[in-house]
Amino acid sequence: MSHKFSRSFFIMMLVLVGVLALAACGGSSGSDEPIKVGAIFDLTGPTSDVGTPYSEGITDFVSWYNEQGGVDGTPLELISADYAYKVDQGEQLYSQYVNQGVVVFQGWGTGDTEALRSRIAADEIPFMSASYSDVLGNPDEAPYNFLIGTGYGAQAVTAVQWGLDNGATKFAIFHHDSPFGQSPVDMAKSYAESHGASLDVFPMPGGATDFTAELTQVKDAGIEYIIIQNVSSNAATLVKNITDFGLDIQVVCLNWCTDELFVSLAGDAAEGVLGTSPFAFPGSGAAGLKEMEDYLSANGGSLSDKGIRYVAGWLTMKVMTAGIEKVVADGNEVTGPNIKAALENMGTLDTGGLTQPLKFSSSDHASNKAVQFFQVSGGTWTAASDYVAVP
Amino acid sequence: MESGIFHTTYESDMALRRTPIMRWRIILAVAFTVIFPFIGNSYTLTLADQIGIAAIGAIGLNILTGFTGQISLGQGGFMAIGAYTAGVLTTMVGMPWWLTIPIACVVTALVGAFFGIPSLRLKGLYLAIATLAAQQIIQWAIVRSPLGTDALVVPPIKVFGQSLNRLRIGSFGGIDFWFYWVIYFFLALTILFAVNLFRTKIGRAFIAIRDQDIAAEVMGVNLFRYKLMSFATSSFIVGLSGALLAQYRGIVNYERFTIDASIFYLAVIIIGGLGSVSGSVYGAIFMVLLPATLSNLGQSLSGSVPGLARLIPFVQQAVFGITIILFLILEPEGLAKIWRDIKDYFRLWPFSY
Repeated sequence: MSHKFSRSFFIMMLVLVGVLALAACGGSSGSDEPIKVGAIFDLTGPTSDVGTPYSEGITDFVSWYNEQGGVDGTPLELISADYAYKVDQGEQLYSQYVNQGVVVFQGWGTGDTEALRSRIAADEIPFMSASYSDVLGNPDEAPYNFLIGTGYGAQAVTAVQWGLDNGATKFAIFHHDSPFGQSPVDMAKSYAESHGASLDVFPMPGGATDFTAELTQVKDAGIEYIIIQNVSSNAATLVKNITDFGLDIQVVCLNWCTDELFVSLAGDAAEGVLGTSPFAFPGSGAAGLKEMEDYLSANGGSLSDKGIRYVAGWLTMKVMTAGIEKVVADGNEVTGPNIKAALENMGTLDTGGLTQPLKFSSSDHASNKAVQFFQVSGGTWTAASDYVAVP
Repeated sequence: MESGIFHTTYESDMALRRTPIMRWRIILAVAFTVIFPFIGNSYTLTLADQIGIAAIGAIGLNILTGFTGQISLGQGGFMAIGAYTAGVLTTMVGMPWWLTIPIACVVTALVGAFFGIPSLRLKGLYLAIATLAAQQIIQWAIVRSPLGTDALVVPPIKVFGQSLNRLRIGSFGGIDFWFYWVIYFFLALTILFAVNLFRTKIGRAFIAIRDQDIAAEVMGVNLFRYKLMSFATSSFIVGLSGALLAQYRGIVNYERFTIDASIFYLAVIIIGGLGSVSGSVYGAIFMVLLPATLSNLGQSLSGSVPGLARLIPFVQQAVFGITIILFLILEPEGLAKIWRDIKDYFRLWPFSY
């Protein structure tokens, strides 16, 4: 028995030694001292469908930016890896990259953003991610988090106001059964109630495919607007249910289901659905989209294939870079606290129509105070309004 | 030349360190553990801290699943109870951090014992589903409670009025460095407790239940009582790992304690070795370091083979799965058995049979 075992053991040891040797080789770096940016992406985990284009937006921005000459001649170096939406692995990668000298960090989801919130404040690493919980815009709670997208609560409030303007008084919110999903509920509910309207709350349990019971309640209560705070796949299931149930009701998606994937999954049921988006869709003609289109067409891709998540990733990295640029332009050392100060003091940042102009301050890290409404018509999201300020 | 280890007295048979080599190995392991934080950086210390917490959690689960034979898929939920109890006591009651840890352990033990009640009637897969329900119920309760909306921020631990993040002695400091000592102190206690547990009447009753519950009952082991005791003991230690995690990371968020966590810990004890305390530690080391190693490997390869960069995350996932399958096929008894085989091989060399 020990004979049989020893062979497999030695094979395993060989593999291990090889792995360690290779890993050790990767440690060496060049002589030029680039500005290091850390990032974690979800390329294989549960949110990889939207995580992949977002990550491509970030990586492509860095290559494009370095082709343009970098920050005053100094290139950015993006150190990134897939963390498969596993919080532990996100933490490992974060501390590894901080140890390698990254000065800013790009996160991804609610899980990792929340888990790292205390650490980034202690390590003084400015942090941006695709989690738009309103609490992250409050520097008292999260001093090193910066919000690029409009907060979930702010989006829901704007959606309620849109309904009020169109004469509705009865709202419902269907949300993902998690902190991500619950994030906008309280704000939306209190806003609706303070304006003489009502808002019913329906959690959407993970994996649910049938919402007949909830929709019966919606019908009996005479609800006129349904707001969905969920990812595209679940939102599409709900919208199909609504169509099958024969309810004629206005649905408003918040930004995580306002994307191309939602339309392709929901098909005809998506027609007429409204969506709030902090970012401009590809094809909307915003000036800020041009550099992405040019970069992608030079590299054999197209922006309409990449979609709105790519735009969000590109823009997020671009705003972070604007902070670094200001630090360098002011002649300061590129450190976390200096980048934080630069972002807070750089005034209003024009994104070329990709968002409403962004503005951070030392008392407010929620830079984006507007959303644009889009509506599905003929299988594509078309603008239904200009940027609408959050009430 | 040895032909094996034979004990001639009860004392030597019952001893924790049965051979001089074992004694030396423990001294070496302790010495390495003490020196490590002084040679490591914040990254390696993060890994070490994660290993320590995972090892404590795995020992807890191993008491229940490996030693008593009660499969549990509720590990994530029980860890959440420990973490949230410690977090709530610190933030809302204002208790000192060291006091929250034992209280969190006791609360988790009570919750664990409660969810252990069905184990009297349920065995094997049925119990797995019952504990899975515990996981879902706890998770549901947390998400629906006021705690669920935003993450619970635990204020940083203060020593002499200064937060641990900033406290430095010479070039050593930071939360990873200081918490390393806390975690490994508790890991040492947990190991001592678990190893000794199985030399007592209670521990032997656990093992008797695992090996043949009907025979154990015939011999006078009160099944219900000992199964509940096993659930409580296991949950106590699992609660410890949850509470440490809350104090160490400074934030409690339910996404860390989903069913994925339960499966991760089952994988740790299966790879490490069911029914082995040292196996739990080996398993924790393996399962924490494997993804880190694969990701480092991926990073270094993506520099040299550019076309491969986009494939690497998927390869990593595949390698992770294949490694676990290979383990199950080649050595179902885990790393602890492999280590034992290595020792036997050299001890009996060249005339092994």
